[in-house]
Amino acid sequence: MQATKSFEQAFLRHLLRGFRLSAVSYKSMSLQERKSAIKLSADVAMASARGSRKWTRGLITKLSREDEHRSFLRLILGTEYGRRTKPRHGSWKIPRSKKIVRRSLRVCSRRKNNLRAPHGVKSGVLARTLVEKRTHALKRLVPGGESLDGCSLLDEALDYVISLRAQVDLMQKLLTTFEAPKLRALSKCTLPERKASFVGK
Amino acid sequence: MEPGGSSGVGSGNSGTYTPEIAESLRFEEEIQSLIHQSFDGSSAAGGSFTALLGLPANQAVELLHHPGPGEPPASAASSSPTAGDLWRLRLGEHHAATDALRLPFGGSSTFVERAARFSVFATDDSPASSSGGGLSPGLKAEPPDSDSPPTLPAPAGRPRRPSKRKECEKSKAKAVAKKSKSAEENTSAVKPAAEENTSGDKLPYVHVRARRGQATDSHSLAERARREKINARMKLLQDLVPGCSKITGTALVLDEIINHVQSLQRQVEFLSMKLAAVNPRIDFSGLDHILSAECGPLAVGSGCGGGASGTAMWASDTAASTGGIRRMPPPQQIWHLDLVHPQQSSTVWENNGAAHPHFLLSPAISLVGYDPAGSVPLNSNQLKMEL
Repeated sequence: MQATKSFEQAFLRHLLRGFRLSAVSYKSMSLQERKSAIKLSADVAMASARGSRKWTRGLITKLSREDEHRSFLRLILGTEYGRRTKPRHGSWKIPRSKKIVRRSLRVCSRRKNNLRAPHGVKSGVLARTLVEKRTHALKRLVPGGESLDGCSLLDEALDYVISLRAQVDLMQKLLTTFEAPKLRALSKCTLPERKASFVGK
Repeated sequence: MEPGGSSGVGSGNSGTYTPEIAESLRFEEEIQSLIHQSFDGSSAAGGSFTALLGLPANQAVELLHHPGPGEPPASAASSSPTAGDLWRLRLGEHHAATDALRLPFGGSSTFVERAARFSVFATDDSPASSSGGGLSPGLKAEPPDSDSPPTLPAPAGRPRRPSKRKECEKSKAKAVAKKSKSAEENTSAVKPAAEENTSGDKLPYVHVRARRGQATDSHSLAERARREKINARMKLLQDLVPGCSKITGTALVLDEIINHVQSLQRQVEFLSMKLAAVNPRIDFSGLDHILSAECGPLAVGSGCGGGASGTAMWASDTAASTGGIRRMPPPQQIWHLDLVHPQQSSTVWENNGAAHPHFLLSPAISLVGYDPAGSVPLNSNQLKMEL
């Protein structure tokens, strides 16, 4: 799976806009501040380029919790800001009927008890706790993942991984575009000296 | 992937107009019009930007299906519907994936739907996959993708789209993440292929076939459907994360996924640190001003020149120029050709040198990122030495 070109282009557009907006105070910032500003604009660009997904909303909400980022976010997103950060339907919980849930739990536990007694092996429980632990870890990693259930969590994780990869690619390309001329200039500077020495000989 | 892709496009650029170039031309126009808001989109684009993005030839063909987003920079809202059709599986990968996925799960239509949906991630998938969550109306705009997905699953011989819509409708109607099944399918053995999806678009139920010898009560069916859903997604994630295909077992795969996400996040931090280290000499404030001044009088002609200008514009935008740089002597131009994008073939750019001296040069200088006051004479000396 790969991110489409339109996504990368939208991403780049937003990133450049974010750089431009945040560059006003660049000279006065320390390295750490610049780095967090760059990371912020990169994250916002990724979230806004992706559109409306659970993780994008979670990410924007998380970023807008800090006051200093809010003005930046408002500038970048413009009209989108209100739409994205308003919590949708309160933290979106999948509506469940209590009666049905209780009934299914009863059936499930009954079935598990019937199956467990003959085997007497707790491997299933062990496996389940392992998976649960990792699911919780994944929930913490994916923005906005706390309130998701198992399969939508995997959905969002998939999406998030693709966008993260695209982000890393884009930033690497940016970096090479910045640094390539300097490296070439350095290498080319040495050439004429060599030529001169050659001619001299 | 990147060097190969860019070299491929670069070689394509040196020739005549190809469909890829036309497509990238359009994209370049959009990008430029966005970056330089005062710029009349008369400039042709080229493969350089796409090369920068690492666009391999086969994906460029895919772009033909998708008219590029031409929205103005102000409306970010419009970017979401066009950005909605984001994920495209490469054609080769798609076939392999569906072949692999089709085999073990002969019975379940829902799994097949999901596989297809992940393979071709059209905009109307996102409402379905978000399980009745935020169905923003913007995501429903999917005109460009309505063509391509049916063609891709068609070779598989299964009408998956109706089932996807069915699923979507179901999740919308019920607003329940759990599986719903029709009442009739409690009979396991003899049932016409449940994979045959009706041609109707809006069926509320998903038909899940109960396998032979398995419990057929509604709870177990629901559980099984849910498990298959999760297994389908796990498989996709396994394909995505490198080195995960050999691992069996949910916990270990989840481990790998978590490690992968953590490493990607750390990479982003590291790259942003590096960019911050590069940046202090680059000032973005004078960007628009410079570029509008530079780009106005330019008449960009062929695609090759567009390639140079594309990258140059991109680079100039990011590198931004310091306020004092306006006009560059022509000798610096060739230096810039090597500079901005090392992967580009220099022949391409030299052909169109005459057209874009001013345009390329300010980005060239700005890329170096030096102070206008002191180093301009120094740089020009260096350049003359190189030439």
